[in-house]
Amino acid sequence: MSKYILISLVFLVAVFLSIIIGPAELTTDILQLRISRVILGVFAGGILAFCGGILQGLFGNPLVEPYTLGSASGAALGGSVGMLLFGTISPLFAFLGALGVGFFVFTIARIEGGLLRDRLILAGVVMSFLCSSLVMVIMVLGGRELYEILYLLMGYLGVVITSANRAMIIAMIVVSGILLIYLYRYYRELDIISQGMETAAGLGIDIQKLSVIIFLTTALLIGITVSIVGAIGFVGLIVPHISKLIFGPKHLKNLPGSFLLGATFLLLADTIARVITVYELPVGVVTSLVGVPFFIYLYRKK
Amino acid sequence: MNIIETRDISFSYNTKKVLTNVSLFLKQGEFLGIIGPNGAGKSTILRLICGILKPKHGIITISGHETRGIERKQLAKKIAFVPQETHFALNFTIEEIVMMGRFPYLRAFQRENKIDYEARDHALAYTDIQEFRKRPINSLSSGERQRVVLARALAQEPAILILDEPTSHLDLHHQFAIMELLKKLNKEGMSIITVNHDLNLASLYCERLVLLHQGKVFEQGSPKDLITEKIMKQVYQTEVKVIRHPHKDVPHILLNPKGE
Repeated sequence: MSKYILISLVFLVAVFLSIIIGPAELTTDILQLRISRVILGVFAGGILAFCGGILQGLFGNPLVEPYTLGSASGAALGGSVGMLLFGTISPLFAFLGALGVGFFVFTIARIEGGLLRDRLILAGVVMSFLCSSLVMVIMVLGGRELYEILYLLMGYLGVVITSANRAMIIAMIVVSGILLIYLYRYYRELDIISQGMETAAGLGIDIQKLSVIIFLTTALLIGITVSIVGAIGFVGLIVPHISKLIFGPKHLKNLPGSFLLGATFLLLADTIARVITVYELPVGVVTSLVGVPFFIYLYRKK
Repeated sequence: MNIIETRDISFSYNTKKVLTNVSLFLKQGEFLGIIGPNGAGKSTILRLICGILKPKHGIITISGHETRGIERKQLAKKIAFVPQETHFALNFTIEEIVMMGRFPYLRAFQRENKIDYEARDHALAYTDIQEFRKRPINSLSSGERQRVVLARALAQEPAILILDEPTSHLDLHHQFAIMELLKKLNKEGMSIITVNHDLNLASLYCERLVLLHQGKVFEQGSPKDLITEKIMKQVYQTEVKVIRHPHKDVPHILLNPKGE
């Protein structure tokens, strides 16, 4: 319990820092902008890390996360298609994109009786490239600016919450909250799955059903997240590992830990992205700079 | 009474037929061994009985009820399965792993209650791993880990224990310890099915054997009936010498190295 209190304090420090640090002076308008950033940062960072933790648990693969599985980029692709058709990035299209690409990646990685771990990541990364290219094509066709494409592909927390989009964003946050709790129910299943599919099946877990539930629900969550803040990589990769180091292997404890740490990490990354250069970098630049070395470390370790 | 019965079970992985019309039974309180060469379908029949796989044809019943109609978690309260190999991807402590055996009894977000803790502690004591209970699993030897897996199965409080080569990676001491534990459990009423590659262990500990060969039941009966020089030659294509165990009235296999 004291660990949660400690991490909550770190989280609050991150919130405080991301509100006070920035190039502009802290006026009421700027304060409002920064608070809306904090809300989106907590929302996106928490969801990405939580989903990463769930997916790593299900696949027994430490390298799996929405980004390396290709579903984040798939969501960006779906979102950009929606933008071309209706002029706005809808979570529905992003969800369908995440689902489609995720399904494709599984089909590639699937072998009789299971999934090839390395092939899953390879297929995910390759599909991610393809999706990014297609996003560029679609956005240019749709007459969008380059910076919009960059923000969609690498993440951007600067979406201003206004009276026009407030209801929509609140609705998405509420829906995401419900979906997170729905996934959290499976903490015991994930503990057991870490000891192999046979053990899990022998204890009465319906692996196929659980996989479908997790696959669909995480795709929905990724769709919602990407449609608001774009595809931010590596939060879902790094954070669950740190959470397990702090809170231990039990998913009952490390999944909420992942949410809290993911929110903290993304807020700090965003603060760095805002102040490191005169231009505001997409937040995904910072998360990748930390995430890729971490990925290589994990890859060599296993 | 037959606690488990399979009737005309057939199963194939994609196009590869693994089992053809396998009918076998397990009597209440019996210690049954399934033997046979590699690829005979031994592990597959165990997985079918536990409900991990579904048969393409045929019926499996437990205490007269078809397993098909029993919910997975309910089945896991009656049958516990010890897989051949368990990987421990996350470094849980021993008592956490044994508590996972209570999964079939718990709903999501339900806290473990007194009964669950008692079942866990009983399983820890029975398998004699109490002293390790707080230790992480990765600090244990493979023999000790096998006890942990067995303890987790016992925490399920099953009526039937199904084990896939429980002694295959163990040294002599741990092989003996595990088999003696199973014997003790069986004496206290547990019905047991075990797949065993070590025919001498099977002969010593199992009351009855089923010999699978090429996906079919080749023969079933007592170790004395099955473990004969003739059958070993037929099924394993190996010339062996079968003698009587010096202290027990069961057959014991000896190999003859070539050219001597």
